[in-house]
Order: sequence, then structure tokens, then C-alpha cells
Amino acid sequence: MAPPPAGSPADRPPELDRLLDDDPAELYENAPCGYFSATPDGRLVKVNRTFCEWLGRPAATVLGRRFPELLGVGGQVFYETHMAPLLRMQGAVREVALDVVRADGTPLPCLVNAVEVRDRSGAPVLVRATVFEATSRRRYERALLDAQRVAAESEARSRTVQHVVSELAAATSARQVAEVLVSRSREAVGASGAALWLAGERGEAVRREEEHGEPRPVPAVELVASAGLPADWLAEMAGAAAGAELVRDGAVHTVRLGAGLRAVWPGLAERLTAAGQESLVLVPVGADTAHLGVLVLVLGAAGDTELVDLTEPGTRGELPRADEELLATLGRQAAQTLVRVRLHEETVRHAARSAFLLESARLLAQAPGVAESAERLADLVVPRLADLCVVDLTTEHGLTRPVARHADPALAGPVAELGERHLPRRRGGHPTAEALRWGRTVWVREVTDDWLARIATDDRHREIAGALGLADLLAVPLVADGRVLGVLTLGTGRSRGPFRPADVEVAEQLALQVAQTLDRAQRFELEAGTSHTLQANLLPPAPPPVPGLAVAVRYLAAGRGADVGGDFYDVVPLSEGEVALAVGDVVGHDITAAAVMGQLRSVYRAHLADRPAPGALLQRLQAGWSLLGLQRMATALFASLEPGSGRLRVVSAGHPPPVVVTGGHAELLPVHPGRMLGAPAARAEEWSGVLPLGATLLLYTDGLVERRGVDLDAGLALLLAAAARSAGAGADELCDRLLAELAGGQRQDDVALLAVTRLTG
Amino acid sequence: MSVRERNRVRESGVAGARPMVFAHGFGCDQSMWRFVAPEFEADHRVVLFDHVGAGGSDLSAYDPDRYGSLRGYAADVVEICRELGLADAVFVGHSVSAMIGVLAAQQAPDAIGALVMVGPSPRYVDDEGYAGGFSRADVAALLESLDSNHLGWSAAMAPVIMGNPDRPELAAELTNSFCRTDPEIARRFARVTFLSDNRADLPGVAVPTLVLQCSEDTIAPEVVGRYVHEHVPGSVFTQLAATGHCPNLSAPEETTAAIRAFLGAR
Repeated sequence: MAPPPAGSPADRPPELDRLLDDDPAELYENAPCGYFSATPDGRLVKVNRTFCEWLGRPAATVLGRRFPELLGVGGQVFYETHMAPLLRMQGAVREVALDVVRADGTPLPCLVNAVEVRDRSGAPVLVRATVFEATSRRRYERALLDAQRVAAESEARSRTVQHVVSELAAATSARQVAEVLVSRSREAVGASGAALWLAGERGEAVRREEEHGEPRPVPAVELVASAGLPADWLAEMAGAAAGAELVRDGAVHTVRLGAGLRAVWPGLAERLTAAGQESLVLVPVGADTAHLGVLVLVLGAAGDTELVDLTEPGTRGELPRADEELLATLGRQAAQTLVRVRLHEETVRHAARSAFLLESARLLAQAPGVAESAERLADLVVPRLADLCVVDLTTEHGLTRPVARHADPALAGPVAELGERHLPRRRGGHPTAEALRWGRTVWVREVTDDWLARIATDDRHREIAGALGLADLLAVPLVADGRVLGVLTLGTGRSRGPFRPADVEVAEQLALQVAQTLDRAQRFELEAGTSHTLQANLLPPAPPPVPGLAVAVRYLAAGRGADVGGDFYDVVPLSEGEVALAVGDVVGHDITAAAVMGQLRSVYRAHLADRPAPGALLQRLQAGWSLLGLQRMATALFASLEPGSGRLRVVSAGHPPPVVVTGGHAELLPVHPGRMLGAPAARAEEWSGVLPLGATLLLYTDGLVERRGVDLDAGLALLLAAAARSAGAGADELCDRLLAELAGGQRQDDVALLAVTRLTG
Repeated sequence: MSVRERNRVRESGVAGARPMVFAHGFGCDQSMWRFVAPEFEADHRVVLFDHVGAGGSDLSAYDPDRYGSLRGYAADVVEICRELGLADAVFVGHSVSAMIGVLAAQQAPDAIGALVMVGPSPRYVDDEGYAGGFSRADVAALLESLDSNHLGWSAAMAPVIMGNPDRPELAAELTNSFCRTDPEIARRFARVTFLSDNRADLPGVAVPTLVLQCSEDTIAPEVVGRYVHEHVPGSVFTQLAATGHCPNLSAPEETTAAIRAFLGAR
């Protein structure tokens, strides 16, 4: 037989038997765990000694109280929201972690298992629970939770950095960079607001012309993006951001809202304090040695969440060291991206500028005159370079009637009024007037209402100027050969923002192009005007009445600009009723041609004094041509007509033949086209015949029969056809009809026309 | 995912009768109403649902932004009412759902015709001139301690448990199942619950309202219930003998009788 196993009753020491036979109540009271029983609503009705000892309270002070009253606040809520409902619904709960509060106030971490005892109908009668001390387990759990939290926070930070890095990689503008930095950093540290100021590209070197000529530095920082901050805070903070010297050491600074801040920026401190804010965090945005700007975060009561802020007032203004490091990293990342984006933006702008100037050069080269140049300039500039463009050209009266354009079609009316009524009355002090006077660029930064009031000519002018919503104004003189030809005035609207130095450079280059174009056009138009004046003066006045003849003359200048011709006609009554007729055309279409024509006519008239026959007259002119020093050759017809007999003699110096219109019929007179005036002299053959009564002799210059794409013979045929259709009309009417039919709008040359009708009776 | 599935909407009772919508509070799910809701099935159209993030709702529908304030939960209630075509419904909201009902009634006055608030609190955190029952430190401690009990069911373990129905030793882990959810969602819901402040919404309540106040309720003490009663125009205040915060479980007969008395008096 095998021996009984160790521990069997036969083997046990009597002392152990005595303990094992002990009263179960003793076991209940001194068990190594807490026991309690409670009514279904949690009121304690029985509790063992172990639990009472843990609590540090005698049973009498515990019985009758509800179990949750023994717990800390978290335990109470968990009991009510989880443990009691679960007991009721599923009859038992396991391993609920609760902190029991001991008499001395210290927490005792416990795990509680409980069952609900029900009667036959299922109604709850009693709750029985065991309580296990779980200090080390809970300590371990707490450590685990803390580690989890630290890991989660660290992961959140590195996730923030990852997000920022990937979002910055996609950014293509400084604004996008700013928005990423502002929103991510604000979110990462739970700031109530954030804003980024960047040092203006203008820097401090660019200065604004003040009224009294005193330059002052423009604000060195520009707000690029913000979130969660009202406008009045931002205005106050701009001053603080401008003092960004604070962050030049590259470190993140937390500035508590205390006496120090109140002393420096009282307005800001007052507003922030009133809104429950507690500190400002200044984060440098810099790469290597470049200080690009400063990110400012406001810490304090969050304004835009619906949830109650749990942090006690006074403790919200401090950032953990890890968050400061995170912000410093974000600032560096943003700065590096800014450098890249700016390079990119500069490259793009540079390409756009080059394309713009190239296009402007092409367009301006095609502009036919001064007025057109100004119009094209305005069309070109708006909206590519500016929202408002005014082109002023100088006249002897100063600046008048400028061309004005605005990008917004809705403002066309006011802008037209500006150009017609207000701008012509500009006074000194207006940037345009200043640019004109000094011959240099005037840049008005930040157009303000006060400034507009100072330069406006009247209230309406100020009203219109105000409606344009201008940010900057720029007046660039148009200078060529040291002469100021006018002023190009540009304005930007608030949405486009202020001009950059690069814009000013483009405007100045454009002004140079325009000035050269204008200079060319003005010289050209001056010359054209002079030639026409000269020619008009050189042509004879209306022909005198000649008995027996109806005489009509016409002179049409060429269609464009300075294309003045050297055409002429002349009708000179000689003695004994004879009339000398001449039509000529000096080669060229310029002022020299007109001058040569004048000289030719003078010499011709001088030769008429002794009434040479047309052939002799031509010979004399040819002989003396070189002596006269005339620089151009010419063609001409010279004729003499006796009204009484109709005897007609004609000689041609390389000129188109005359036309005779008679009896519904028109024909060319077969005059031999001799050599041109100015060519080596040769004897000219004189045509001699009779102009019948009622017939009309027509002399003309080639402008009447020459046109682009049509040869001379065809032109002559058109002339004969037209003349035949007008047979029977008087000399005047014939001239009008021929000009109407043959010398249309596309005329490229001057036309001189001389018609003589031999009157019947 | 339909609204019915998202919020695990369950209907019972009389189809054409006046609708009653029961909304559970922070902690568990619609089973909180298991002893009360059936009492109304004889003469009401009874609607039960789980808030997104709780019970059998679709956890994938949980959007931290939408549910970052009680308005998101209220919007869900309105969507449920619209989906079911409810009009003049009695909205019975326990605990935090009392305030969700206030917001839902604002958004859909036609759908909700009466409010029954069981243990309501418009703000748990004390404020100047207002006793909510909890100091900031209390709520901070409470939010932290709730984490302790969520350790047992980490997000990582959930799929293991759910995916092994044939392993009873894992099923045992599901003991506390009615109140289990993703610990991260539970943490967020706790924040929204205990950090909301809806005091300003109370005077705008325009429907008949019953405030059911428990005895010895540490979560929503009587002074808070009185505050709600005083600020909701024309509200009825009923003091229950039931103790604790869940009379719907601990004293369903008394709770049902109080609601019946309120509805019958209308």
C-alpha cells in the first residue's frame, strides 16, 4: 500500500488542522482580500476587517455609506457610468480598476470583482464584491500609460514635422509656406492663435517720400498669414513682430504677459490679458544666417473651441521644452522652404517680365503715332503690371488729357471722369507732377486717405481716387534724349498688393521703350505737320477766273502722317487771254520734296515772264536744273491754252499724259513723255492741237492713277472710264467725281488735279 | 453606410403611435434602456440607437472633428429623426444625451416635441457663480482615471478578441462588453461629455421638458438638476427616490412612472 500523499489529513500537524477547522467567519474577516456586500444601490451592508484596515476606517463608519463615496472622483464616475450599469445588466464585473480613498486621503489602487445576487424573479438583492490591492500592478499600468502618452506625444510631434515637411515640399508661394507654418504650429502646441511676419523684401533701405521730403523707413515686416487672431491684436502685434531682434539668436522665446510686456507694448498686453491670454511665443524663421521673419503664437484661453479649457488659468502660458524644440524645427523648415520658393518666384517673375517687355516692344513698334502709342501702352500695362494706368504726354500746356485705364471694368466711368476732368488739374505734389518736374521715378507706398486728401484737386477727385482702392502709386517719367515727354503713372489695388522693386524696374524699362517710341513718333508727326504746312503755303491760292474757261483745281494730301508729296499745279493767265497750265510731281514724300516743289514753281513762274512756248520753257528748266541745286528729280506737264481758238500746246517731262473729255468720251492726249526734270537735258517734243469747245482738259499727278497692285496702264484705263462717265459735268464736278471714284481712303500718294473746260458761248 | 446601421437604430412598439427616442449617455449603450423602453412599446413607437463610437455603432464612422462637440451627436439624432420620418417625438436623453436632445431640438423643432432629461447637467466643471459639481482638477483626474480602465481592451487587442469567437478564454475578456469601445473614442467622448458647456442653450428650449433628478447622484447633483429646471422655461422637475446616476437601470419602475406622469399630463 502506498503511503498517503503529503498534506493528507492523516499526515497534517494538529496546529494546521486547528486553523483549517477554524470558523469561516474568521476566514471572511481576515482573508488576504477585501470583501464587502452592498444593497443593489451600492450601500454597504457588510465589510470585512481586511478592507477596513486598508481603508484605515472602522467598519461602523463605513457601513451605510454608498460604495462610490469611498472612491476618488474618477472612480465615482466610472462606478456610476460603467460598473453599476454592468452589474445590473450582466450580473458581474471583473477587474475594474478603482482608487479607494483611505482615511488619511491617500489613494489605494484596487481591482474590484463583483457579482449581483438576484432573487427568483431576477430582481437584485445584494452585491458581493472582492477587492484586491493592486498597487504595483497599477503602478506598472500607470508607467505603461505614461510611457504610452510620452510616446504618443513624441509621435504627434514627429507626425507634425512630417506633415509640415511634406506640405512645405508642395508649397510654391511664400503665402502657402506661411499658411502651413501658422496652422500646423498652432495646432501642434494648442495655441489660441498664430501669425507669421516676414521681413519685407523691400527691406529697410526703401524709403517713402513724405510730404515734407523727409524719408522714413517703411515697416520692415509684413503679415503673411494668421489664424485665430482678431485684426486689432494683429495690428498691435505687428509692432512686436517688427522688434524681431528678439529672435535673432535663433531661439524660441516665451514672453509672459507681465509687467515687462506691458511696459513695451501696453496696447497689446491689455488686449491679450482681457481675452485671457497668458504669453506670446516668438519663433524665429531663419535659415543659416538669414533672418526671414518671426512666427508669433499666443497661448492662453482658447477662443474657438466649444469645450471647457481644463488647464487652470495662469498655467497655459508655458510650453514644454519639447514643444519649443518642435517650433524651432518648424521655423527652420519653413525658412528653408521660403528661400527655395523665393528663388522659384523670382525666376518665374523674371521670365514673365522679360516676356512682357518683349511684347511691349513689339506692340509699341507697330503703333503708328503718339496717341496710339499711349493707348497701347495703357492696354499693355493693365492688368499685367498694374491695376491703374495713366499715360500723360507733355504739350506746350503741360500735362493734358491723359489716357487712363483701370483693370476693373466697373470703374470705367469714374476712371474716364478722372482722366477728363480731374487729372488735367493736378497740382504740384501729385506724384505725376513730381515725376515730370524732377524727371525721376516717384513711388508712393501705402496710399492713405490722408495722402489722397492732400493731393486731390477737389472732393470728387478724392472720392474717385478713394474708390480705386489703391495700395501703391508709381510715377515714371518718359525721358528720351534728356527731354521729359510725359509720365507713366501706375497704381496697384489692395488685392494685388504693393509694388515690388522688380515691378518698378520693369516700369522704368517700359517707360524707356515708350519714351523712345514716343520720341520717334513725335519727330515724325512734327515733320509731317511741317511738310503739310509748307506744301499748303507753297501751293498757289485758288486760280483766278479766266474768261472763256472754267478752271478747277484739287489737291489731296496722302492718307498718312508725314507722307507729304511734292505735287503741284499752277494756273497763270498770261497776256492776250492765253493761260499757262502746269502740273508736276517732285520725287519723294517728305519735306525736301515739298521744298523742291516750291522752288520749282518759283522758277517756273519766273520763266513765264517772257511767255515762252511750253517746249522752250521745259528746255530752260532743264538747262538751269543743276544750277538751282535742286536735290530731287521731278515730272511735269506744261501747257498753254488760248481760250478763244482752243489752241493747245503741251510738253511732258516724264509725266503721265493729259486726258481730254469731250462728247461722252475720254482719251489720252498722245504727248511724248520726255525726260524728267533733273535728268540730262534732251529736246522735248511739244504736242500741239485744238481743245474743242465744251471739251475738258484734265492734268493730274500719278497719285490719281497709281495704286498698290494695279499697273499704270490699268490705272489709266480706270481714269478714262471714270472720266467718260462724267462727261458733260463741269470742271469742278468732274474733279470731285474722279477723286471720289479713284482716290479712295487707301491713297498712298498726294494727288494734284487740274481741269479746264473750254466754255461754249 | 446608412444612418440606421451607423447608429444601430432599433425600432419597436406601435408604428403609428407617438415616437419615443431613447438616447444613452456616456458609458454604455442602448441596452441601458432595457428595463424602461419596453414599458412604452404598447402605446409608442420606440426608437433606440447607439451614439457613434458606442455599443454596436459603426466605429469607422467616428470622425474626431464631427464628434469633437455635442453638436455632432445632435446632428446624428436629427438625421435619425429624418431617416425615420419622426415628428413630435419624445426624446428621452440620459446624462449627456439630455443636452444632445436640447441641441437636436434646436436643429429640428418639428421632429422633437418633448424632452425627458434623466440626470442632466449643462456643465460639469464649476464656473464663477455656478456649481457643476467638479473642479477642473476633478475632471482632469477623472479623465485620467478613465484611461486606467480602458487599458484592458487596447485597440491592438480588439481584433484578436473579435476574431476568435471559438476561443472561450478570449470571450471571457468580453465580460464588461456593454460598456466596451475603442479606448481612444471613449477618451474623446469623455472629454466632450465633461467639458461641454450648454448653459446658454437652456433658455431656448421651446418644448415641454421633464427633468428627472436622482438622489445622491455625484455626477449630476440635485443643485445642477435644479439649475436646468430653472433655466428651461416651463420645465417639470421630478425628484426620484432612486440613488446614483442610472435610475433607468436601478429604478426602472419609478423612472417609467415619472415619464408616464409627465406625458399623461400633457
